[in-house]
Amino acid sequence: MSDDRKKGDAPVNGVNHSASDSDRGNGDGPELGVSRRDFLKGASVAVAGSMIGGGLLMKGVPAIAAPESKTVNIGFIEDLSGNLAVYGLQKYHAAQLAVAEINQGLTLAGGPVGVGGFASTGSQAGEPPKVRLDTASGEVKVAEQGGGDATSGILYGEDDEILVPSGEKGLLGKEVELTAPDGQSNNRLWQQLARKLIQQDKVDVLVAGFSSAEREAIRPIIDRNKQLYFYTNQYEGGVADEFTFCTGAVCEQQVIPVVQYMVENYGPRGFTIAADYNFGQLTAAWVRAYTPLVGGEIVGEEFVPLSVSQFSQVISKVQAAKPDWVMTLLVGQNQSNYYPQAAAAGLEFPMASTINMAQGYEHLRFNKPSLARMHNAINYMPEIPTARNRAFVKRFFEMFPEDPYLGQMAQNTYFSIHLYAKAARLAGTTDQDAVRRVLESGWTIEAPEGPVFLEPGTHHASHYIRMARADENHDISFVRDWPTVEAWWLQRLGVNLVGRPEHKQYTPQEDKFFPMLQKMAAK
Amino acid sequence: MDGVLSVLYQFGTNAAFLLLSAIGLIVILGMMNIINLAHGELMMIGAYVASSLYHSGVPFAACVVVSFFAVALVGVALERVLIRRFYGRELQALVVTWGVSLILAQGALLAFGPFLASIPIPFGSGTVGTFSFSWYWIALIVLALLLVAGLWFLYYRTAFGLRARATMQEREMAQALGVKTGRVYMLTFALGSGLAGLAGALMAPTTTIAPYMGQQYVAPAFITVVTGGSANVIAGALGSTGFLSLAETPFTIWFGTFIGIVAMLLASLVLIRLLPKGLSEWIQRRWLS
Repeated sequence: MSDDRKKGDAPVNGVNHSASDSDRGNGDGPELGVSRRDFLKGASVAVAGSMIGGGLLMKGVPAIAAPESKTVNIGFIEDLSGNLAVYGLQKYHAAQLAVAEINQGLTLAGGPVGVGGFASTGSQAGEPPKVRLDTASGEVKVAEQGGGDATSGILYGEDDEILVPSGEKGLLGKEVELTAPDGQSNNRLWQQLARKLIQQDKVDVLVAGFSSAEREAIRPIIDRNKQLYFYTNQYEGGVADEFTFCTGAVCEQQVIPVVQYMVENYGPRGFTIAADYNFGQLTAAWVRAYTPLVGGEIVGEEFVPLSVSQFSQVISKVQAAKPDWVMTLLVGQNQSNYYPQAAAAGLEFPMASTINMAQGYEHLRFNKPSLARMHNAINYMPEIPTARNRAFVKRFFEMFPEDPYLGQMAQNTYFSIHLYAKAARLAGTTDQDAVRRVLESGWTIEAPEGPVFLEPGTHHASHYIRMARADENHDISFVRDWPTVEAWWLQRLGVNLVGRPEHKQYTPQEDKFFPMLQKMAAK
Repeated sequence: MDGVLSVLYQFGTNAAFLLLSAIGLIVILGMMNIINLAHGELMMIGAYVASSLYHSGVPFAACVVVSFFAVALVGVALERVLIRRFYGRELQALVVTWGVSLILAQGALLAFGPFLASIPIPFGSGTVGTFSFSWYWIALIVLALLLVAGLWFLYYRTAFGLRARATMQEREMAQALGVKTGRVYMLTFALGSGLAGLAGALMAPTTTIAPYMGQQYVAPAFITVVTGGSANVIAGALGSTGFLSLAETPFTIWFGTFIGIVAMLLASLVLIRLLPKGLSEWIQRRWLS
């Protein structure tokens, strides 16, 4: 697959696609985007049988026959017990739902669209497109950067029905199976399990990882074994790994919208409370760097070890700082106790987050009004009122009626497994190298959140971001939305995994941009 | 004024957390010298009992009382079946209680799932100037002190306490004088377990009620009891909680939660190096004798 885009020139602002599109494509103007859309029409409606799409995309990829096996084996590790079980169970059940649907002969709409991708390609249109895009309804909406309807801006489709026949029961004539041991919230056990799944069970794909600590514990093992790997969590960003596909939202997609919203609506002074490990530290660095850009400042930061569940002192420190809003980046069952404790101590600051509520459903677990005025720029919550999401939520709770919640990363896990199946079907094999190459064709998949585009060069996904807000009754409303926000940071750093494989995680310290912002903040 | 109150409140909550974490272990480790690694799981059972009762309509205060007796019964069963075979064999008791802790935590996971419904924090908040606080934590500080006072009264002012202390110091002599030492051991272990259960129930509203919740209390509990020493466990517990939170509170205020915990651990390290028998031996020597 040729990929001669100039990644280094990608735009700074994640929602501004008009600048990026002049760099996109292999010299195609916007006119050729039309033919790409036509191609998309064919490819995504009948992905399984799309000979043209298949032939085109498979060019140069050797068709290696998979070793004989009666099933397609998806390795899956999540924490079903321990401090992180509150998230692991949802993800596991979402994976089971996806596998059941694949085995029933169903798939999510969508298909390979090339490196530019649906939803981002349309941003150049000065007026609503005259070409019929490939959404099942044929209807396309246009939104401006800050959400809201517009006549020019970002194009996106919003079909009611996203579950379509795949053309076969199972995958490549085989049944899909999930091998899912319990990681027990224990990083060392994660390494053992990853080794066992890769070397002994020889899984065709590995879908695993809640915390960034877990991911970084197993990623060296994955790279050594050239294992095709999906990390479906929302996380701090920066992983540039040949074998890893990160399908969750990252900082640039969530932090900037939420910080901007908080500063505009509540005032400039923010206070960050974050979990004390790579996720919390790096996300806090993003908050610190970007708040000044929208006219705010971070007046205090507090990092809390994962084992801590008593927050009296942290609460007193927040109180003394008198911020306009509090950014909470709290992880695990221990730390979620901040909310009821803060409410019991009379703290009433508006709160912001990129994780809470959407993952650990604190708004349902804790008494009202502990989570009142909590804002989160989410890519998914089951409360999203679209028809496609209501249908997804219904399917999930029909299968797991006892489950308490269906969170952000459960949804990511769900569409990621469907995405894997679509790619393997198009590749015609479960050979991991071949599937990886096909995944690097640029895919749009219609997820319950909305269309998601998997960008080939960075192995990260664009997301439909919505600002969720909890009221006094812990009811969720969506007060603003951004139909497509790209994960642009690795593009800006010049990462191109297709042309130049890497196996590392970038941190904000390595980006000259961040110190520059810090200096601006200091002035 | 607000600032002073706020610092006092932070100091008090830190000390109360240590004292409640340690209250059951003060009896079991401090007096019986059993290194009870299942201490956290006993607290977990207390929280589980409290949560189950609370959500079937029992008032919270009653839940706490029932938790005490329920976990005391668990303690009796544990003592009769296992612990009594390991008196005087500290290292074996350590391994056995560790095994018990794994069984209890995993058993809770299998039986009740990854977590139980939480209990809302009672009493709401109060305000002084710009400083607001949780009344429940004020109640916990008072209750922790009352529990220690009650324990002191039981062990130093009642006949049971006298027999218990005699048994712990000179078992054979006590037996020769007609003390049923087996029963004293059982009751002491039950009391320690019950207090752990009670503390678990009291802490339940402030934490997530989950199978592994006990782990967060085990380290603070052991540090508190060991720093306190066994010369006089009650004076030791009060002294060490005061001392440790005196180290933790200012460092948390200046440098954050993590450094606060480090400061607390360092303080206990230095203290044990200087006073190997713990703070209580020093207190005893200075003031009580």
